Amino acid sequence: MFRVILYAQWKWSRLVVTLGTIAAFILPILSVQGASPLPASPMRAGEILTMVQAWGVLYPVLAAALGLLVAIATWAPDHRGRHVHALSLPLPRWRYVLLRFGAGLVLLAAPALAVLAGAVFATRFAAIPSGLQGYPVALAIRFGVAVLVAYAVFFAVSAGTTRTAGVILAAIGGVVVVQVLAGLANIHLDVLTPLQGALLLWPGPLAIFTGRWMLIDV
Amino acid sequence: MCRRGHLLLIAALAGPTTLAAQHTAEIRARADSLLREWRQASALAAVQDSLRHAADIAGRDTVRAGALTILVNPSPLPVARAAARAWAQIERFYGTAGEALARQPLVLRAIDPDTAAQQNPGGALPVSWDVSDDVLTGLLVSLADLSGADPALHDWLGGALIPSFDTEPRRAQVYVELVTAPSQAVRGCFRGDRLACRDALSLAGTPDMLTRWYGPDERRFLATVEYGAFLNQGARAPEFRSCAGGSDSACLHLLESLPPGSLRRPLSYAARFSLLQTARALGGAETFHRLFSAPPGPMGARLAAAARVSEDSLVARWRADVLAARPTPVPLPPWGVWVALGWAAVFMSCGLGSSRWRVS
Repeated sequence: MFRVILYAQWKWSRLVVTLGTIAAFILPILSVQGASPLPASPMRAGEILTMVQAWGVLYPVLAAALGLLVAIATWAPDHRGRHVHALSLPLPRWRYVLLRFGAGLVLLAAPALAVLAGAVFATRFAAIPSGLQGYPVALAIRFGVAVLVAYAVFFAVSAGTTRTAGVILAAIGGVVVVQVLAGLANIHLDVLTPLQGALLLWPGPLAIFTGRWMLIDV
Repeated sequence: MCRRGHLLLIAALAGPTTLAAQHTAEIRARADSLLREWRQASALAAVQDSLRHAADIAGRDTVRAGALTILVNPSPLPVARAAARAWAQIERFYGTAGEALARQPLVLRAIDPDTAAQQNPGGALPVSWDVSDDVLTGLLVSLADLSGADPALHDWLGGALIPSFDTEPRRAQVYVELVTAPSQAVRGCFRGDRLACRDALSLAGTPDMLTRWYGPDERRFLATVEYGAFLNQGARAPEFRSCAGGSDSACLHLLESLPPGSLRRPLSYAARFSLLQTARALGGAETFHRLFSAPPGPMGARLAAAARVSEDSLVARWRADVLAARPTPVPLPPWGVWVALGWAAVFMSCGLGSSRWRVS
């Protein structure tokens, strides 16, 4: 059963997974493109850190995009077919959902491994100045976990009904509206900052996406 | 005819001299007049400053905590409590040298946070009176700058002397500088050369540090990139091209032609302040008393005397502290992966939650 679901999901999301895997492999290599073994300029170390940090912004973006697109691709055919196929299977819903989730995870392992391969390749062939070190494994682990969290979040949203998604969006919009109205009324009410902290700081659910994503660091 | 010719010749020669003398006298008179005007304007400005200062401090309460003296207008601002807390930190940092703060009272103007009226605090520092105790304490501590009493220390430090014990973030910043600063002295310091550390921290007091701070490639980069816009113009343009073409002597000459003090120092204020903190940690509470009373000389010797260790030991300890504060390369706590996996499980179970198949 798992193989069938995996194959079906591969057919639905192969474009996303293939492009994501290529991007995941290329990204670490691009981030160290200036650190060539050619005669080093005296500013090299600082420049490398700046460049790696600038490219590092794209890792969480790629992780979130992959999680979102694969989660959507996982559930879109079911929603389009009004779940007739799923209901025709001799499976309880929870097991069907687990199979779908597991199949998505297997497909997302490819981009995570591609980041590892690209990062190892990049750090091996880049001229890293003394005092700086490459962290390909730590970066790849972090990327893999970020992809997993993004996938789980969007999977949960996609698995729900349109109404559920509407409620979530309305809740987010409501918080923003309250903040704007409080600002207009000159009331000292800060809703967004604590909410932002709860989401983006450890142990918040989205903390894995924040901070610096450095392939090369001190 | 001949006599008339001589007279004409003499008149012709003397005419310009007389005119020049008259011109010089006129210019001198104008200069004297300008000097008088300038002195008068300066005196008026001083009177104005004095009156403004008197207006600033008029009608203010005086709050004292130790040697910390604060003049502030009546308001709900919790100055007394914050001053007591600030003085505890200041005294712990400066020791008895902190008594010098009694000579430099702080003038604050507490302002209503809800008012939209324009505030005109003059020389007073405006502070919204709804700030928290902690913020006000931090502000008072940051204003307790004693470097003004020691111009050599102020110049060397390149910023305010703030009584701060918060060392770790600053040392982590210095670690990154040691690794990335484009300077041969800094690189040498990172590798363990203490003499290079002294150079990088400008401790020796040598006036010309250019060749000790920066190697030929770094000098070329500084001259052509960092200061390129300033140096590549006018009479210096040919030398600039020569420097860009690889002539180190041209680069050296160009950088030496920069105004005094404008050449970028290889290490930042944070590095020098962290050295000061190391000296304070070694020398104890009386470090600043010894530092301020030390005879003038190179800053390295003064700091070492204040810390009661040799200059070499002071630099070695500073370097060890900085290397120990190496920032976390991948900012992910050890339990971060497990927390993230937990959140993934929570969200996944949300997907399992629905008890029936629904399409809307």
